[in-house]
Amino acid sequence: MIKKIMIVDDSPVARRMLKTCIPKDKGYEIFEAENGKDGIEKFQDLKPDVIFMDLTMPVLDGYGALEQIIKLDKNAIVIVTTADIQPKSIETVMGLGAFTLLKKPAKAKTIQDALAKAELKMKEISGEL
Amino acid sequence: MNPESTKMFSVDEKDILQEIMNIAFGNATADLAEVIDIYVQLSVPEIQILYIKELSDFLKSALKNAATTSIIEQKFQGEFKGSGLLVFPEKAGRCLVSILDNNKSNSSENTSTAALEKGALLEVGNILIGACVGKITELLNTFATYSPPQILQEKFNEDTLLAEFYDPLQTAIVMKTVFTFKQEDVDGLLLLLTNQESIGWLKKALNKFIESYE
Repeated sequence: MIKKIMIVDDSPVARRMLKTCIPKDKGYEIFEAENGKDGIEKFQDLKPDVIFMDLTMPVLDGYGALEQIIKLDKNAIVIVTTADIQPKSIETVMGLGAFTLLKKPAKAKTIQDALAKAELKMKEISGEL
Repeated sequence: MNPESTKMFSVDEKDILQEIMNIAFGNATADLAEVIDIYVQLSVPEIQILYIKELSDFLKSALKNAATTSIIEQKFQGEFKGSGLLVFPEKAGRCLVSILDNNKSNSSENTSTAALEKGALLEVGNILIGACVGKITELLNTFATYSPPQILQEKFNEDTLLAEFYDPLQTAIVMKTVFTFKQEDVDGLLLLLTNQESIGWLKKALNKFIESYE
C-alpha cells in the first residue's frame, strides 16, 4: 500500500500543482525535493513508495536521478512528470526504468490513475498478487 | 534585474510564469519532433522582468556574436502580445537542411542553398515560437494571432528592434530558454518578449491559472 510519495521538481509551482492532484483522503505522506540530487538523498533517507520526477532540473536532472534511484532500488516506482514529451525523451526514461511518463501540466485523473497502477505494481512486487 | 521592476510580479507569479514557459516549450519541441527527426535537449527556463534600458544590455549579451547568428522573429498579438525571437548560430541553417533532406527526398535541386537554409530556419521558427506561444495562451485561456515569421537579416541591431516594439519608458518580460539540437550540437535560444500592456492581463491570468489547482 502506498504510504509515502515524493515529488521531485525544481518548480515550487509544479510541486504545488501536482500535490493538489493527489487524493487527500488516502492519508499519503508527501515529501518534496527540489532537484535530482536532493531527490536521491531524500529517497535514501525517506524510502518513498512512489516518486514523481521532473526531467529538466538544475544540479542534477531527472534522467540522472532516475538512473541512480533505479540503481539503488530496481523496484523503485518513479513516475516521470514532464513537459518534455519528445519521443526520444520518453524512450530514454522508459529505458532507464521509469514506471510511466505523464505529461505536464498535472491532471488529477491521470495522477490518480498512475497511483492506482503503482499500487498494483507494489502488490505484485510484494507477492500479494 | 531592477528591484522596482521585480515588484511587478510576486515570487509566486514569476514561478507560475516559469512553469508555464517550461510546459509550453516542452510541448513545442514535441511538435517539432513530429515534423523533423530531431531531439531537443531542454534547459530550465529563466524569467526576467527588465526595463527597456536593461533589455538592451540583456539582448547584447544574449545575442553576442550577432553577426554570425541567425535570428527568426515572429510577433504575436492579443491579450498576450509580444515577439518571439529564436536565435541560432550561423551553421544552424545548414544542419536543419541536412536533417530535413533526410526526411524529404523530394527537395528541389534547383533551390539555392541559401533559400533552403532560410526556409528551414523559418519552418523551425514558426513551429517553435508558434507552438510555445500557442500553449501559453491555451493554458491562460486566451488566444493569439501571429505575423509571419521573418529572418532578421544581416547584423542584428537590438536597438532597432527595441525602438520598433517598445516604449522606452516601459518594462519587458523576458522569457528565455536555452536548448540544444543534440545530434547536430547546435545551441539555440528562445526569447519571448512581452511589453507592459500585457502585464495587467498576465498577472490576472496567472492567478486564475493557479486557482484552478487550489
